[in-house]
Amino acid sequence: MNQAWTIARRELASMFRLPVGWVVIALFLLLTGSVFAVALVPGAPASLRDFFGVSAWLLMPVAPAISMRLLAEERRTGSDEPLLTAPVSDTVVVLGKYLGAWLFMACMLAPTLLFPAVLWAVADPKPDPGPVLAGYASLLLQGSLYLAIGAAVSAMTSSQTLAYLATLFPILGLLLLGAVAPDTLPAWARAAGAALSVQARAADFARGIIDTAHIAYFLVGCAWFLGLAHTALGSRRWR
Amino acid sequence: MIFVREIRKSFGRVEAVRGVSFAVEPGEIVGLLGPNGAGKSTTIRVIAGYLTPDGGAVQIDGFDTQTHSLQARRRIGYLPESAPVYPEMSVAGYLDYRARLFGLDRAARRKALGTALDRCRIADVARRRVGDLSKGYKQRVGLASALLHDPPVLILDEPSNGLDPSQIRETRSLVKDLAEKRTMIVSSHILPEVERLATRLVVIAGGRKRADGDLRDLLSRQTTRTLVAEVQDHTGAFTTTVGATRGVQRVGRSDADAPGWVRLTIEVLPSAPDPRPEIARQAAAAGVALRELREERPSIERLFLELVESGDGQAGPA
Repeated sequence: MNQAWTIARRELASMFRLPVGWVVIALFLLLTGSVFAVALVPGAPASLRDFFGVSAWLLMPVAPAISMRLLAEERRTGSDEPLLTAPVSDTVVVLGKYLGAWLFMACMLAPTLLFPAVLWAVADPKPDPGPVLAGYASLLLQGSLYLAIGAAVSAMTSSQTLAYLATLFPILGLLLLGAVAPDTLPAWARAAGAALSVQARAADFARGIIDTAHIAYFLVGCAWFLGLAHTALGSRRWR
Repeated sequence: MIFVREIRKSFGRVEAVRGVSFAVEPGEIVGLLGPNGAGKSTTIRVIAGYLTPDGGAVQIDGFDTQTHSLQARRRIGYLPESAPVYPEMSVAGYLDYRARLFGLDRAARRKALGTALDRCRIADVARRRVGDLSKGYKQRVGLASALLHDPPVLILDEPSNGLDPSQIRETRSLVKDLAEKRTMIVSSHILPEVERLATRLVVIAGGRKRADGDLRDLLSRQTTRTLVAEVQDHTGAFTTTVGATRGVQRVGRSDADAPGWVRLTIEVLPSAPDPRPEIARQAAAAGVALRELREERPSIERLFLELVESGDGQAGPA
């Protein structure tokens, strides 16, 4: 696991050495900060509901921007050759890359902790900590799932653009599943859509409900897509 | 020791490597030679563990690269073609990262880093970004990263690719220094490069092994000997006489670099006695001025062309 940490650290540092990393963080903070500022209305109850709602949607374009480089860029430049011939298993490579991307997302979210801190300082009554904790848990879980999807897609191509787009659309699909299921669909299809929908679970988190079934959904989803990334990486050795 | 047995690798319908076998003993530098697209890099990538062969097997110091992949990879120092290195990292940062991947602890890392920086003469650029370095320096960074864990096996794919003559000379001398006590495969399509580095040659063309052996042995196996004579033979009569000499297969005729002189390229059967005394006698008898008569040194270029163009799959002992 030391090697996974080594890969994760390199990945994280590399994102901060490139302009795209700073641009992603700056845009995310600018947009979420604006939403937070607009939602601060004197006399109204203190809430971060709008911030969490917008952040969850922003993760849809942001997560693929973080994950698109992970393995696609390595393949394009040929730097995967030294990596995949080092005494490191494919599992460690995938976990290291994923962990690096996850830490970058955590770094992006960390400055937003200022928003609840501000509310705590100025609001009366103080905001309820339950929904705040649940909101951050929801963001981290959704981001984790999106990054896992991105890692899998990035392992299948050498084009960052293709990796971005091919990650964006499945995420959009997961967000819209259930929400836009037409009545003409059979009942089982609508039920399956609702079960796989990210939005229904995010809505529960927004109400301050942390359901283990929801947590399991995101964790299983992450594991499944990371398994797919592992298989795609391994298949490079055959092609 | 490297043991390659009957490896095969296809990409779609293209058979890149078709049953290549050879072994490399400790202390040996084997030059893997072949034209572009011959299957050299694919062979190298299979040996280094980057590609999985469709058939056959590779063993590094007794460890199969498929069944004991990590143990095999731990013993290999690999420099891929064009030495891909992360451009945004510093030289020292990259080497430290590679040393960590190979599981070196802090003290071992520090020592290995110092040794690799000195050995590859890149200590002066240790703090610079890899992306800002010249191609020669990048190649040396790649080489340094291959040496960090002091591997017993070194695999270098086109180590002189894209370098200028002075960089090529430096890289060659470095590789020769590294060869002591190591098993080494150096792939190249630059013939003089391999001639100067390797103690043994494996020639690959069309995905197949065409030859395998000591450079001198291979050169002595050439199917023809060539003599060069420069004469004043305006009528061509002497050329005809030479062509009729015992053992001579064919005579080519071209203008020499001085006016009035003709250059004869005489191909002789390797088994025939040396025809030079007879040719000299004939020239004297015919009153033809002869200013040069020598046997052309067997060259690796000619050998290479013979092997690659023969396409008969003739392979020496592995």
